[in-house]
Amino acid sequence: MTEEKTIRVDPVTRLEGHGSLTLKLGTDGKVKDVQFNVNSTRFFEKFLEGRPMEEAPRIAPRICGICPIPHHLASVKAVEAAWDITPPRAAVKLRRLMIEAKQLSSHAIHFYALAAPDFVFGPFADPSVRNVAAVLKYLPDVAVQAIKLMEFGQELIKTVGAKAIHPTTAIPGGQLCSMSEEDRDLWLGKVPEMLENIHKTVDLAKKVVTDYIDVVTKVAVTPTYYIGLANKGVLDIYEGTARVMDPDGKIVADFEAKDYRKYYGEHIPKHSYATHIYYKPAGYPEGIWRANTLARCNVADKMATPLADAALKEMRELVGRPSHHTFAYHYARIVEMVQAAEWIKTLLEDPEIVSKDVKLADVEPKAGEGVGLVEAPRGILLHNYTSDEKGMLTKANLIVATNNNIAGIEKSLMVAAKQVFEEKAHESLKLPDPLVKT
Amino acid sequence: MGQGSSCWGCFQSLVDIHLHLAEVLPALEIKYWQAVADYKLHHLESYPDKSIAVGLYEGMARTEEDIHLLKVMRAKCQTLIAFGSCSCFGGIPGLANFSDIEECYDVKFRENATVSGGQVPSENLPGIAPVVKPNNSFVDFEIYLPGCPPTSKLILTAVSKLLAGEPIELPPHTVCHYCNREKKETPIEKILRPYQGIADPDRCLLEQGYICVGSATWGLCEGQCVNKGATCRGCFGPPPPIMQDHGANSMGMLGTYAPLPPEEIKEQVKDPLGLFYRFDYATSNLGEIRIKREEVKHQ
Repeated sequence: MTEEKTIRVDPVTRLEGHGSLTLKLGTDGKVKDVQFNVNSTRFFEKFLEGRPMEEAPRIAPRICGICPIPHHLASVKAVEAAWDITPPRAAVKLRRLMIEAKQLSSHAIHFYALAAPDFVFGPFADPSVRNVAAVLKYLPDVAVQAIKLMEFGQELIKTVGAKAIHPTTAIPGGQLCSMSEEDRDLWLGKVPEMLENIHKTVDLAKKVVTDYIDVVTKVAVTPTYYIGLANKGVLDIYEGTARVMDPDGKIVADFEAKDYRKYYGEHIPKHSYATHIYYKPAGYPEGIWRANTLARCNVADKMATPLADAALKEMRELVGRPSHHTFAYHYARIVEMVQAAEWIKTLLEDPEIVSKDVKLADVEPKAGEGVGLVEAPRGILLHNYTSDEKGMLTKANLIVATNNNIAGIEKSLMVAAKQVFEEKAHESLKLPDPLVKT
Repeated sequence: MGQGSSCWGCFQSLVDIHLHLAEVLPALEIKYWQAVADYKLHHLESYPDKSIAVGLYEGMARTEEDIHLLKVMRAKCQTLIAFGSCSCFGGIPGLANFSDIEECYDVKFRENATVSGGQVPSENLPGIAPVVKPNNSFVDFEIYLPGCPPTSKLILTAVSKLLAGEPIELPPHTVCHYCNREKKETPIEKILRPYQGIADPDRCLLEQGYICVGSATWGLCEGQCVNKGATCRGCFGPPPPIMQDHGANSMGMLGTYAPLPPEEIKEQVKDPLGLFYRFDYATSNLGEIRIKREEVKHQ
């Protein structure tokens, strides 16, 4: 018999946002409790109240500086839904260009800067080397291809959105700025190098997955529900319906944004300021769902673009559908990067992308409620606003990407904790030699 | 680098110096940076005082942990930088000071479209202060780098100067200095909301009636929004001296451009607090009064 023990990891590192872990081990050495403590909140839902509706897309992006574009766009979609406005087609294309560019740069920063150090230096390397600065030092070629992908995405957003972080050009009724032909030509010129870096990334990701296949297929494999946006069954990050898949792989719901309250449950945990979102018809905790890359790849029948679809098929051959492999999130991230890259090329080649018809001249506020739904890199994102007849925001409900994952993260942490502390499963894992030895 | 309650956009802006990362990152010995390296809080706490040359603090500090981290950073760093507008002025999260914290809890945990009857979480969590107080009310900073976020160019300039041991000298101009639009010095006849009509791309947005606070805002952004058709909302705060009252200046500016009867301005400017004080309510004179009121109320 040993004493009860509490392990605290504070803060959780190499992610975006604030969190700690609290793990309790009983006297018998069994894992009694695992908590993922998200330890800050800023009350956006409250201080959006009382603002003019059109200011919401300029305030809400500050929820997340890594994924401000999805917030900017979910917000403007919610306002347009409340006021019953349809923006011009070219404006929608510019918005899609922005969100695909964000998907590209965010997935690149996640894969290369946050996740890769574990795989490059091995999970047991010293903190002084297990980080992106060391990737730059030891693998400069890999780092340069990563930086160039991030640069492509971020700078393209700046062209369309005025700022790469917290963009300002989407407004109820369209976009405040069209794309010039010079800018379009400049970006088209950069596409071949970007695609080349995407191909290199895919090759690297496949190597990582193959090298770490024992980890991918054995650690923290956690069956849950999944939610993701799909457009007639095809993976989409800007428009479509929300699809829910149960742990057996059956699609159990496919609904419009406006109907979300029937399907979204929100549980207030006692130990996290970020709430737990779940599939309401199944109840909590049975209905815990996960969002983000793997969830989208699980719920979608196929990808929207050819190379991405081929990559999805290859992934499914390895991990199946649904995949409950927490580590397969990285693989799915790469599949989605390919789709984002292909979408960007298609949009830039579309003559309408330089149309000057990007904003309605006549926009009138009205009383009503609107829901805006898009995919952020880390999962489905929902803004729900109520407007009064003067166009002032009277009520906001925000269900952001990570909230959809908090309960799922905790569930997979419990699986992993049992594997490590009870079964010592990590000792028998086959790990490759680190790519770089330090 | 320490991160309080923030969106991590300042961090992203630092990453967006792109290939310059190859020069900057290897020149740093990282001691604590939760987004990048696996050092924990106890590592940071264990370093000798003033043993770190430069620290950046992103975000505002409202939780007990945020405030603790801010104070630890101050103790360990020789030069501490308020990194971004949240850290300098409270930023957009400072707008939460418009409401009592219980009203904030109501919407977040107790009653909303998908929430009913929840309780405020408290287990293994830091407490949240009743009001957002500016970071400089807890510690002193040597340098303020405002912006929401500070541009990558500004960050690169600052970091390069620090690495070279040289002072950071920044141009004092407002946003108008960088705006390509023409001013004709004509008064505003009617105030417009930003979605109304189609703006003339070549004329000053404010003179067309769209409220733009660029003339009262530090132009370290180099006019990125106004040159793409979006009005300035003041995210870099006031030009030096940096703690002057940005909101009051912005309102004064509107008064000069819009010689309208006060009743008309009152009717047409829908949300003066949320517009003129968007990024710096917590450090404004009005905001200071509110902070005192909330503190007394929750004593």
